[in-house]
Amino acid sequence: MKKKITYVIRYIVAVSSLIIFLFPIYWIFITAFKPEPEWFSMPPIFWPSKFTLSNFLGTGSSTFGTTTTSIAGILPFLRNSIVIATITSLVSTFIAAFAAYSISRTKIGGTKLAGWFISMRLLPPIASAIPLYVIFSKIKLLNTWLALILPYLVPATALSIWLLISFFNEIPQEIEEAAYIDGASRVKSFIYVVLPLSAPGLAAAAILAFIQSWGEFLLALILTNNASAQTLPVYLGRYITGWRVAWGPLSAAGLVTMLPVIIFALIFQRYLIRGLTLGAVK
Amino acid sequence: MNRKDQRKIALMLVLPAIILFLIMTIYPFAYMIYTSFTNLDLSKTGTGKFIGVGNYIEIFQDPLARSSIGFTVMLVLIAVPTEMLLGLGLSYLIRGLSGEKIMRSLLLIPMMVPAAVGGFGWKMLYNFMFGPINYFLSFFGIQPITWFGKANYAQSAILIIDIWQWTPFVFLIMYAALQALPRDIIDAGKVDGANGWKLFLHIELPLLKPILYVTLLLRVIDVLKTFDIIYMTTYGGPGSATSTWSFYAYKVGVSYGWNIGYGSALSVILLIVSILLVNTLMKLLNIGKELGLSKAEG
Repeated sequence: MKKKITYVIRYIVAVSSLIIFLFPIYWIFITAFKPEPEWFSMPPIFWPSKFTLSNFLGTGSSTFGTTTTSIAGILPFLRNSIVIATITSLVSTFIAAFAAYSISRTKIGGTKLAGWFISMRLLPPIASAIPLYVIFSKIKLLNTWLALILPYLVPATALSIWLLISFFNEIPQEIEEAAYIDGASRVKSFIYVVLPLSAPGLAAAAILAFIQSWGEFLLALILTNNASAQTLPVYLGRYITGWRVAWGPLSAAGLVTMLPVIIFALIFQRYLIRGLTLGAVK
Repeated sequence: MNRKDQRKIALMLVLPAIILFLIMTIYPFAYMIYTSFTNLDLSKTGTGKFIGVGNYIEIFQDPLARSSIGFTVMLVLIAVPTEMLLGLGLSYLIRGLSGEKIMRSLLLIPMMVPAAVGGFGWKMLYNFMFGPINYFLSFFGIQPITWFGKANYAQSAILIIDIWQWTPFVFLIMYAALQALPRDIIDAGKVDGANGWKLFLHIELPLLKPILYVTLLLRVIDVLKTFDIIYMTTYGGPGSATSTWSFYAYKVGVSYGWNIGYGSALSVILLIVSILLVNTLMKLLNIGKELGLSKAEG
């Protein structure tokens, strides 16, 4: 009996904690679908009277100006985010796959090199943002996709190297050698034997790189300054500074920004946790 | 293929990564160390002259720098321990409940959502007139709080956001660590009559210690970078009560100050602190064993 009661109490506490932790996300979610009169109301509206798409279509408001009431303005930012995160993801996975394979098979550089690679993702972004701002302004690279892709490659590649070394370690070398003896060159055995076997790892690395680049804020804020290269998180930041911002459309933009991340994160959570905790969790 | 050729190919494969890191981190860092000794100001011509350690001395005399570093330390001292305790508590709480896997997945969300989005969500929640938080507090007879208007409220607000965002991270690690505890040791402890607190304090906690250190370091390294949620909610205010190290360096360096020299000096010190912490972490992580590199030749 006592056991049952503690179990129920534990359950209640667990579910309440979960509600608290998810509430801010829930709030963005419902606000994105609230009609304008319900954006600002006291008491707050916890369930919209009707779910409207007007915040997404930009048809919801009569009192706010057009800039913040339509997420039609979001499209260039969405495009930038997709392009930058995708290219970063592909290129970093490519670079990391080569490096990780080499380290896994030959232990080149040993612990020192691997440690140096991994530590690259832990350093504070402000420390690269300030010098890169000066350097990029000199070579006229500011406000381009490349200005974000280049610095985003660093943490993405670092994390992927870490993930992929352990992936390649798990592929038995004998399989490769067999192919090698059968006459395939080293390169061929890598492409036809190792790559297909490590596909899940490569996919995980690519997704992680995508998520990181997608949500990055500080570098995007500093190295870009308009819709030609700015990304979604910066779009959110730009319109939040007024004292009364149009909550509905901004929430809609917030939802668009976080939805891909949440979906990817839930699908790939195993690898994600392994990567984010630097192997502290398998 | 002989050994020498193999080595050459191995080197060729790691070279792109090495070049990337040299160009995109080591070079900018070196450049920043150089600018930190100059008075480079992008809004003024004729700047960029060498001024020695002037910028570094200024940090010690600048009350805004001190308060920004102070608030960052406050995050380390208050938010991080709270996250550690709550995360550990949650992992014990949820372990063994039916549906624990789903709960774990859902708890992943706060740390995955881009911090800018999370910050925006909290800005709505904290709103003075229409925010749900003041509404909930009114049930307890508490008058509406101007969360971002007073220094201590704004600081609490930021602490709460950080705790919200990163407790799940500690939880995730601890949850997995608990499952990986060696069953036989725990069982032996139980046979010896240890349970509840005793089991936790004398058997589980010592076993969890290494991973607790790793988690703590990861959190401290991360909290030193706090920027996004500040920008999205308080913008460092009121005054500079919630300005963090990174945020202040951003403000003086590239936001409206354009004082690259001074911003660089602030970032250099932050970088040095981070590198020291990262090095400690790397030792704790034992990469050599983790990645099977211990018997490395290099």
